[in-house]
Amino acid sequence: MNSLLTPGAGLDSVSGSRTPRVSRLGIVHGALALFAAALVGKAAQVQLWQGAMWEARAVRQHYRASSLPAPRGDILDATGQTIVQSRELVQLRVAPREVKDRRALARALARARVPAEWVRRATDVKRAWVEIPGRFLPSDVAAASAMRGVHVSPVADRVLVASPGTRRIVGRVGPDGRAVDGIELALDSVLRGRQGTATVLRDAHGRSFESPTAPGVAATAGHTVVLTINHALQDICERALADAVDRMAADGGDIVVMDPHSGAVLAMAGLRPDPRATAATALSEPFEPGSTLKPFIAAKLLELKRARPDETIDTHDGVLVRDGRTITDTHKAPSMTLTEVIMQSSNVGIVQFAERLSPREEFETLRDLGIGAPSGLPYPAEASGTLREPRRWSKTSAASLAMGYEVAVTPVQLVAAYASIANGGELLEPALVKEIRSADGDVLFKHERRVVRRVMPPDIARQVREMLLQTVSRGTAQEAFLSTFEMGGKTGTARVTDGAKGYQANRYTASFIGVFPADDPQYVILVKLDNPAGGVYYGGKAAAPVSKVVIEAAIAARDAALNRGVLAARARVRPEAETASAAGKRGSLALRDAASPATVPALPADSDAARAGNSLRAGGGGPAHYAAPAAALRVADPVPAPRISVLPARAPRPAPRPPATPRAVPDVRGLPLRAAVRVLHEAGFRVALAGASSGAAETWPAAGTMLRAGATIRLAYER
Amino acid sequence: MKGRGRPIVALLLVGFVLVATGVIWRRSFGIAQSRELRDLDRQRLELEARKARLQGEIRELSSRARLAPIAEQRLNMHVPNASQVIYLPRPSAPRE
Repeated sequence: MNSLLTPGAGLDSVSGSRTPRVSRLGIVHGALALFAAALVGKAAQVQLWQGAMWEARAVRQHYRASSLPAPRGDILDATGQTIVQSRELVQLRVAPREVKDRRALARALARARVPAEWVRRATDVKRAWVEIPGRFLPSDVAAASAMRGVHVSPVADRVLVASPGTRRIVGRVGPDGRAVDGIELALDSVLRGRQGTATVLRDAHGRSFESPTAPGVAATAGHTVVLTINHALQDICERALADAVDRMAADGGDIVVMDPHSGAVLAMAGLRPDPRATAATALSEPFEPGSTLKPFIAAKLLELKRARPDETIDTHDGVLVRDGRTITDTHKAPSMTLTEVIMQSSNVGIVQFAERLSPREEFETLRDLGIGAPSGLPYPAEASGTLREPRRWSKTSAASLAMGYEVAVTPVQLVAAYASIANGGELLEPALVKEIRSADGDVLFKHERRVVRRVMPPDIARQVREMLLQTVSRGTAQEAFLSTFEMGGKTGTARVTDGAKGYQANRYTASFIGVFPADDPQYVILVKLDNPAGGVYYGGKAAAPVSKVVIEAAIAARDAALNRGVLAARARVRPEAETASAAGKRGSLALRDAASPATVPALPADSDAARAGNSLRAGGGGPAHYAAPAAALRVADPVPAPRISVLPARAPRPAPRPPATPRAVPDVRGLPLRAAVRVLHEAGFRVALAGASSGAAETWPAAGTMLRAGATIRLAYER
Repeated sequence: MKGRGRPIVALLLVGFVLVATGVIWRRSFGIAQSRELRDLDRQRLELEARKARLQGEIRELSSRARLAPIAEQRLNMHVPNASQVIYLPRPSAPRE
């Protein structure tokens, strides 16, 4: 307080004593000191006593917690090619009344290819809010999104990079990011990842950005799912199916290809006229398989030793009456062996053979093959098919089941059942997912071959494979014959039922299931065509050629899940060419010796038709000869004969035959390996690769040497 | 004592100003970096979206459905049948 008093200024004149007098400066100083004290006090109150409350309020005003969307995992094919991936696009919302320059907005939207109608709406001030449909790349709408009144929100989009038909397998994700169907739905928890959180700051303009200091939790990307589908084979199947459906004016169809040793589904194509049918119909739509079930009845009979492949049965010239029902064959023969019953698809024969099984045995045979139960594939809409228990059968059910009626299977179930014949008798769990990998690349799941049960002994499976081989070479499936490889298969032609109306007239399901190559199968292929029009509705005429188209394209493709080393060892060296019409002329097809692989020369295109009842020798094994009566060699299927054939014959370019006269070895130095081989082949020589050379490709004998056509040139190439 | 106090106060004030400036600069720099990160992230997302679109276009343009008719009609090519495919056994690598 001394500072408030002026020394010596306040003396009392009467008493002479000093009284303190407050100066104006002192008052100012005092006021300032009080103010400062008040500030310090308030600061102490705000910082010390109320600090937590104010801090929380500040955080609420400046910071905002935001969820970080997790990138959805990719879906790849078996070779690692992307099938589906995610990308971020933007959606535009416009408040027309907030827009200052509507003409500029209209121009910007038009440049972003927004439809004119929506441009008009977005600039119509009578509207308060317009949501423009569609999703855009941010750069495409950058000009528009910078304008006042235009609101941009990011949306995740799933892009299909593979063939369109793959969509049926992988399914879809809705605009809200939720999986709708397919693999996307079945493996949603694996694919969707985990959302993260971020603290977002707002600047003076209200723009948000992630705080550089506040902690957040990063989003975890979804796992990558690798399917067993091979994109090249899938592409081949889709095209072959589209061509076949178009050519035969069918209502639709399915093709399924499976690796019989692992159960992996390699391709699954489906086509339906209704564009709303987006599911994988090979899994979701069961059908009556018809004659394609007959080999399983035969297998059970062989296993129980109630029939032999060469056992003859009276087929009554193709007409049999059982319980008031007349069963007929298209191919009418007085008698047939069990092999011929399968080969010619005789209804009369298989019904009589099946009578040696009890209803329970027949039911269990089909049940053990997985018919009537879901296959276990991760697909939400998978159908289980229909297989009724014997207590619900009618008097004619046993016969119907033997012919493939009164039972419904999905194409995948049927392929899996045939895979058991192909792999030696084991029913495998089909697989659609090969691997699941984390975003870091760690393998979290890997498909391993899983045997559900053994459905037939290996020797029975081999015997049934021989029957299938005969069916292709001499029976109802000759249209599937390949000149270079053994092919086994079975045709099916089933009438189509329409619920309560019963079986429809002139409506059929034509199917074919092939095992390729028959002696060491790599593919089991099913081709099914729904109601092919134009008079061709036999499985052997409509579906079998499609399987041949698929296999030939797969052989020629770069990577269609075929083991070429094994395949090359199975190829025939030089089959004698015969035409399809020469069914009576039996040639001899010498199978290639697997132990001595050599260059297989190019064959004339017409050699493809070399088939029809050749005497076959299985590679490395003993002779497997089936002597069928001449009458049994005609194509037969248990439906009326087609009126006309609309299948256009493919007219391949004839390959040049090598000249017989001596000629000079061409100079292939400097050429790539493939081109060098081509040049040598065109000159009429065989080629044997002789390993790496130090420089460019070299031949031995050297270029210019005169050699007879057909001589083998050793080709050393640069590695 | 009076003469020495003012420079100290001045120094303290200068120090305070410098520290405060540093804190504000650091914060502004962090915010600028954060904005740049955000912009780069957007660019990345957009480039990925473009990449996906281009991959889809490449896939469509190189698909069998598109190429096969062109190869068959314009170039008179065809898918070889099984007998026209040549298998070349690859010799094993010579031992060192």
